[in-house]
Amino acid sequence: MSPAVTGDDLAVGYPTTDDPIVECENVILPDGEITALVGPNGSGKSTLLKALSGQLEPWAGEVHLGDDDVYAMDKKPLARRLALLSQDGDLPGSLSVRELVQHGRHPYRGFLEPLSEPDHAAVDEALELTGTDDFADDGVGNLSGGQRQLARIAMTLAQEPDVLLLDEPTTFLDLRHQLGVLDAVRALNDERGVTVGIVLHDIAQAARYADNLIALRDGVPYDWGPPAEVVTEQLLADVFGVDATVRAGPEIVPHQPL
Amino acid sequence: MAERTETAVGRWEWFDATLVSFCLAAFGLTSVAALVQVRFGTYPLTFWEAWRSVFDPAVWTQPNVLATFFLGERAAGALGFSTEYDLTTATTIVWNIRLPRVFTAALVGLSLSISGTIFQAITRNELASPFILGVSSGAGFAVLVTLVLIPSFGFLLPLTAAVGGTVAFLLVYAIAWQGGTSPVRLVLAGVIVGTVLNSLQTALYFFATDLGTVQQAISWTTGSLTGADWAQFRIILPFVLLIVIPGTVLGARQLNVLLLGESTASALGMRVERMRFALSVIGIVAASAAVAVAGVVSFVGLVVPHVVRTVVGSDHKRLLVGCAFAGPALLVVADTGARLFLPVVTGSPTQLPVGVVTGIIGGPYFLYLMRRRQQLGEL
Repeated sequence: MSPAVTGDDLAVGYPTTDDPIVECENVILPDGEITALVGPNGSGKSTLLKALSGQLEPWAGEVHLGDDDVYAMDKKPLARRLALLSQDGDLPGSLSVRELVQHGRHPYRGFLEPLSEPDHAAVDEALELTGTDDFADDGVGNLSGGQRQLARIAMTLAQEPDVLLLDEPTTFLDLRHQLGVLDAVRALNDERGVTVGIVLHDIAQAARYADNLIALRDGVPYDWGPPAEVVTEQLLADVFGVDATVRAGPEIVPHQPL
Repeated sequence: MAERTETAVGRWEWFDATLVSFCLAAFGLTSVAALVQVRFGTYPLTFWEAWRSVFDPAVWTQPNVLATFFLGERAAGALGFSTEYDLTTATTIVWNIRLPRVFTAALVGLSLSISGTIFQAITRNELASPFILGVSSGAGFAVLVTLVLIPSFGFLLPLTAAVGGTVAFLLVYAIAWQGGTSPVRLVLAGVIVGTVLNSLQTALYFFATDLGTVQQAISWTTGSLTGADWAQFRIILPFVLLIVIPGTVLGARQLNVLLLGESTASALGMRVERMRFALSVIGIVAASAAVAVAGVVSFVGLVVPHVVRTVVGSDHKRLLVGCAFAGPALLVVADTGARLFLPVVTGSPTQLPVGVVTGIIGGPYFLYLMRRRQQLGEL
């Protein structure tokens, strides 16, 4: 399959850093698949995701969405094809879930344009697919963390993107809601064929949900490929600094930090 | 899918009963305060006379009379309206002296509260005010410079105050800019510029040679509508009609998107820096127009958005419409108090600056909030 998002010869950093945080020759999110970016804290996985999403222009190198240069595209056309669930935390508490999801139609609307019939249809579908239609009229301030995260995913879904990038969507959620969020993402991928790039903390979860893993160490890809190939005892020791046994599956049994 | 049909009904769904009743209540309050303001004064009227003068058919049925008041004699004459007419003494006093002050107060209140709403959204801080990005200190400094150093240009005060505020804002933006801005850096830069300019302003007081200059400076830096008439109204009206209201209509949903957080707004296709600056400019124009006619009236832009938000929620379409009614209500009420309190209570003819009254109302409101709510400051 042709890659949906590619990054070539990337060097990514922030205005406040002297050296790039991430340097990688080639990174690919294959079309219609789920690719998880994994690595320990500070390995640059969120930074790489931001660069791939068009939100952090790399110091060097190019990011392409299909054949188009992401940083040469206008922002609204980009947002119609590529959605990003960022780590932004606070939302106005009185905002209803439906209003939040309607903001997902922002890239389709002009300044004074009201919501059109297709806009409403996209919003309804996004609510339904994420199971947030049950509490669509509640204020986001009254939701649990997991429900709120699903509502935000529904917003990105209302953008009707080909590619969905998620920056640590499961952090701060309890286990049940972590699985709920990941199931929703999996469903999106299955039913809509949305290409997914997701930053995950937990390599065991990543191995279970993703088609591909990209393991980063100190801003450099250590290995990438299907979980069964990437997750090895060697990788867990080198990248995560953990002594662990890997069983078929792959299933990880950690023993101790190295 | 019952909600589907409901949401598809129209774009005015957000204009619901809560908002309508809030606006009506605010309008009622404005009207009552306006009538009190119009009734009392050195030329005594009864409420009935005041009412009759406000709705005097001799004014409302003659376009040339209305044009002369709202546009000014010169502009009305240029448009071919006759500026010669006869009105009763009561009507003349009400329409020439008392009503224009009420109208001006209403527009100042509207501008300040809309400006406050914008800056609270941009800085993501519900304790922000229109003056948080340096406008008040810039305007105050410019007023002092004009009065003390170049007193012969005193007639330019509205202009220098507005320009001073705008320059200070641009300076704040320049200081905050570091390959982009952020709410926190903007607020910090506002504090930096504000502190320095306030010190310079205080320093300039030492060079003021007479009490009159100092009093004039104080009335500018606390905000006052004493003596406001049609000239002031004509300064602020075009800004409100041509920039503040259209900007608000265009910007309401953008403010809502911005409130989702910078990266979310950006990922939704918004050019965050550009939009933030454009919205700031609308806020600054609103604040500067208010400063030009009334000086630095504190607390209105802080309190009004806050009150409206607790009633109608944080959707900026509702919030801004609410502010357009509540802002005038607060300022007209406060100005009625400012003008009439000392004359009625002590019999002295002295008027208070309206900024003193808004401060006296605004302070306790926040005390009340502090006691009632655990979390203050988050939007």
